Amino acid sequence: MAEDIILSVHDLDVKFTLRGQTLHAIRGISLDVYRGESLAIVGESGSGKSVFTKTFMGLLDANGSITGGSIRYEGQELTQLKSDKDWRAIRGREIAMVMQDPMTSLNPLKTIGAQIEEAVVLHQGLKGQQARQAVLEVLEEVGIDDPQRRYRQYPHEFSGGMRQRVVIAIAVACRPKILICDEPTTALDVTIQAQILQLIRELQKKYDLTTIYITHDLGVVANVADRIAVMYAGDIVEIGRCEEVFYDPRHPYTWALLSSLPQLGVKGQPLYSIAGTPPNLFQEVKGDAFAPRNPQALKIDFVERPPYFDVTPSHRARTWLLDPRAPKVEPPEHIRQLRKQGVNPYV
Amino acid sequence: MSERKKLLEVNNLEVTFGSRRHPFRAVKGVSFDIFEGETFGLVGESGSGKTTIGRAIIRIHPTSGGEIRYRGQKINGRISAALDRTVTRQIQMIFQDPMASLNERAKVDYIVSEGLYGRHLKEEERREKVAKALSDVGLLPEFASRFPHEFSGGQRQRIGIARALIMDPDFIIADEPISALDVSIRAQVLNLMSQLQKERGLTYLFIAHDLSVVRFICDRIAVIHKGELVELAESEQLFANPLHPYTQALLSAIPMPDPIAEKQKKLLVYDPSMHHYENDPPAWVEVEPGHFLLANQEELEKIRDKR
Amino acid sequence: MPSLRYKDRKTEALSQSVGKTLSRDYKPEEYFEPAPYDPSAGERGSYTNYSYWGSTLRAFFHNPVAVFFLVLLVGMVVFTIIEPLLPYAPEANTIYKGDTNLAPCAQYWFGTNSIGQDLWSQIWSGTRTSLFIGFSVALVEVVMGVIVGVLWGYVRKLDFLLTELYNVFDNVPQTLVVIIISYILRPGVSTMIFAMCLTSWLATARFVRNQVVIIRDRDYNLASRCLGTPAWRIMLKNLLPYLVSILTLRMALAIPAAIGNEVFITYIGLGVPLEVPTLGNLINSGQTFINEPTLNYQLFLPVLILSIVTISFYVVGNAFADAADPKNHVN
Repeated sequence: MAEDIILSVHDLDVKFTLRGQTLHAIRGISLDVYRGESLAIVGESGSGKSVFTKTFMGLLDANGSITGGSIRYEGQELTQLKSDKDWRAIRGREIAMVMQDPMTSLNPLKTIGAQIEEAVVLHQGLKGQQARQAVLEVLEEVGIDDPQRRYRQYPHEFSGGMRQRVVIAIAVACRPKILICDEPTTALDVTIQAQILQLIRELQKKYDLTTIYITHDLGVVANVADRIAVMYAGDIVEIGRCEEVFYDPRHPYTWALLSSLPQLGVKGQPLYSIAGTPPNLFQEVKGDAFAPRNPQALKIDFVERPPYFDVTPSHRARTWLLDPRAPKVEPPEHIRQLRKQGVNPYV
Repeated sequence: MSERKKLLEVNNLEVTFGSRRHPFRAVKGVSFDIFEGETFGLVGESGSGKTTIGRAIIRIHPTSGGEIRYRGQKINGRISAALDRTVTRQIQMIFQDPMASLNERAKVDYIVSEGLYGRHLKEEERREKVAKALSDVGLLPEFASRFPHEFSGGQRQRIGIARALIMDPDFIIADEPISALDVSIRAQVLNLMSQLQKERGLTYLFIAHDLSVVRFICDRIAVIHKGELVELAESEQLFANPLHPYTQALLSAIPMPDPIAEKQKKLLVYDPSMHHYENDPPAWVEVEPGHFLLANQEELEKIRDKR
Repeated sequence: MPSLRYKDRKTEALSQSVGKTLSRDYKPEEYFEPAPYDPSAGERGSYTNYSYWGSTLRAFFHNPVAVFFLVLLVGMVVFTIIEPLLPYAPEANTIYKGDTNLAPCAQYWFGTNSIGQDLWSQIWSGTRTSLFIGFSVALVEVVMGVIVGVLWGYVRKLDFLLTELYNVFDNVPQTLVVIIISYILRPGVSTMIFAMCLTSWLATARFVRNQVVIIRDRDYNLASRCLGTPAWRIMLKNLLPYLVSILTLRMALAIPAAIGNEVFITYIGLGVPLEVPTLGNLINSGQTFINEPTLNYQLFLPVLILSIVTISFYVVGNAFADAADPKNHVN
C-alpha cells in the first residue's frame, strides 16, 4: 500500500439541528484514504458512518452542516464547495455511491439500459452505437446474463441481487476513482451477498478503484477490506489493517463487536454482549462515549476523552487502556481464540 | 428421540396466495415436527415461504391444504372458540422489525399488557405483570410510561419479547428476531432468548436467513427453498454433513470474521437446473436417522455411494 | 450541556441528572483505576422525554406562518360570534333607505349594498352562517367517514359490499342531490347542511378505507391479532390514532370546501334564501358589480373574507398534519 493519499479528512465536525436541538453527529474525525485501497467503516446505526461518507459527496441533509475540519480530495478542498454545480463535478464522476436499497437508486420508469447509458454518455462521452455497446459490456461485466434482453427491461423485472448489480454497473460506468458502498448487501440474501461482495472486489481490481464499505457487520468485511475503521458515537475509535483489527483488536468496543458475532459463539453458552445502547448525541459526550457501557472502563474514561494511541504505525485506537499508566486488561476469551480458530470449518 | 414429545406437527402444509386465476403457491407441501423444549430453525432466503409458514401456524395466514397440529389438536382452518383462546395464549410471536411491530401511538404499558385485556385483571395486577415482564427482558419497569419512539432497536425488540412473555406462552415463533438489529445488540437478544428458554422451558421456531445465527441457537434446522423444505437435520449434523446443494451453498456463504480464511474461501452457487427432476421427481426422504433430504433416486444413490 | 433553545423543566432536570451520573468527579491520582460499572446506565442513557401531543403542539407552534393563520382564524371565528353583541352593531338585514350603494365610510365601514343594507354586519353575519355550515358539514363528513371507512377497510367481509355501494352512490352527482333536496325541503341553512352531508362523507370514507388498507397488515397490527386483541380495539387503538394527522388535514380542508360549495350552490340559485346572509349570497349579489369600479367592493369584500378563511384553514391544516406526524418529531 503506497502512501498515496486520495482523500484526506481532518478533524471533521458535523452537526444537525432538529427543532432547536443540536445533534453532534461527527465529533472530530481524521482519516486518510489511500489510493486503490479498500476501507471498511464499521459502526452501528446512529454511529454516524453514513453521515460521514455523505460529506464526501455533499449529500448532507438540509439541516446538517460541516462545522469544522476539512476534507481534501486530490488536493481539492471539498468543504468549500457550495453549489450543486460544483458538487456535480465530484458526485458520480469522481466519487460514486452504491446504496443499501437498489430500488431507491433506480428509476422505475426507465429501462435498465437507458439508465446505464445515461451514465456512459455523460461520463465516458460515448454516443449512439458505441454507447450501447459499452452498456452491454458493463452489464456483462457485472454478471448479468443475456444483456441484449436485459437491456430493455425495467427495474421491477430484476431480482434484488440483480438490481444491486445494475446499480453497481451504473456507478462503475461513471468511471469514478472512489466507490462508496453503503451497506451494499444488507437487503440481500446471504448467498447473493457473498456474490455481490466478490463482484465489487473484482471491479475494484479491474478499474483501480478505491472502495469504501460502510457496514454494521464486522463479519461481512473480513474478505473485502484492506483496512477497517470502527466508528462509535460519531468518532473512529479504532483503525488498522484488516488483520490487525480482527486478530489484535484493542478498543473494548471492537472487542464487543467481534465477540458478539454468533459465528464465534459456543452453543449453550451466552454470547458475549454489551449492555445498553449507544449514547444520545443530542447530549454532549464527556470523556469516552463508550465508557457507560464498558465494564472495563477506567475512571478517567468518564472525565477525559482519550487520544489515539498507536499500536503499530498502521493501527491505532482511542482508549485509555493503551495508556502506559493503565492496568493491563485482557480482551475477552473469544478474541484470543480467533487467531487460533483459523479457516471456516464448514467449507 | 422417540421419547420426546411432539409439540407441533406440520403435515403437508400448503399456503396459496393470490386470486383463484393466478394462484401463487408460497408453501408447497411442507412437513416437519417440533419437539417440546427445542429450538427449531427454519432457514431460507426472502420469498422462500419461511415467514408464511410461521404466520400460518399462528393463524394470520389461512392455509389451503395440509394440517397443523398443536399438542395433537388441529389448529388450522375452523376451530372452536375455546381452542382459539388456548392457542392464542400458548403460541406467541416475535417480529422481525422492532420499528414496525410496536404501536407507535400507545405507551409501552399498553403494548406489553395488550394480551391481558381479555382476562379482566385488576389494574394493580396488570401493572405488576407489566413491570415483571419488563424486568424479565432487562428493561427498567419505569419504561412503561413511555412511547416506543424513545427506545433503540434492541430495546424495542425486548419490548416485543416482553409482550409475548406476559401471555406465559409455551411456544414462540421468532421471525427473524435479530436481523433488523445492530450486531452488538443481536447478542443481547439471542442471550435473552436462550435464557428465557432455560427458565421457562419454552419451545422456539426460529426463522432466519442467516445460518450462522441459527447454528448458534438451534437444535435442529430445516432449510427451505422456494416453498419446499430441501433438508432437515440436527444442527451439528447439518453443518458437518450438508447433503443438499442449496444447503452447501448457504454454508459456503457464511461470512466469517477471519480475514485469512475469508480471502481463501470458495463460494458455492446453487443452480436449481442441476437437478434432473423431469422423469425422476424428488421425494422427502430420511437418509439417516433424523436427517431428511429432498432428493430423487439418482441423487440418493450418489449420496450412498459416497459413504 | 448543549444550549437547548427550548428548555422545558422536565427535560432539563433529567439531563442534569444524566449528566451527573455520567461525569462523576474523580481525582487525577485515581484516574487509571477501574471505574464502577452499572449495566443499567447504558440503558438509561438514551432517555428522551417524548410525548406525542406535546411534540405535536411544539412542532406546530414552531411554524410562525401557521401560528399567524391560526390566530387570524380563531380571531375571525370569535369575532363573528361576538360581533352582534357589540354595542351599536347594526342588524344585518336592516335597510337604511336612501343609503344604497355607499362606498365604505365612517358610518358604514364596508359600505352598503344596492338595497341599503350595512355590508359590515352583512358580511360578519354571512361569515358566521357560512362557517357554521362549513363546520357542521365537515364534522358529519369526518365522523361518518371515519366510522364507515374504518369498518370498510378493516372488516374484510364488508369490503365487497361497501365498495359496490360506494360505486353506485358515488356516481350520483352531488349537485343533483342538493337540487332534489332543496326542491323537496324548504330551502334554508339546515336543508343546505343536510344535503351536503348526505353525500360528502362518501369520499372521506373511501379515503379512510384506503389508509386503513395500507396500515392494517403492518406488523404491529399482526402482533395485536396474535395477542387475541378484538377487532374493535385494534380499530380504536391501532388504526385511528394513526389517522389523526391526515384526518385533521381532511377536516381542515373540508370546512372551506363546504363553504365554497355553499357559494356555488347559491350562485346557481338553489342556496339559502336571500334574507339569510351567507358568503354565497353576498358574493352572488356582489358579482353583478364586477365591472363597476366604484361598486365592486361589494364583491371583493366578501371574496376577501372567503379567501382568508380558505387559506387559513389550508395552511393551519397542513401545518398541523405535518406536526402530528411523528416522523417530524425529534425527541
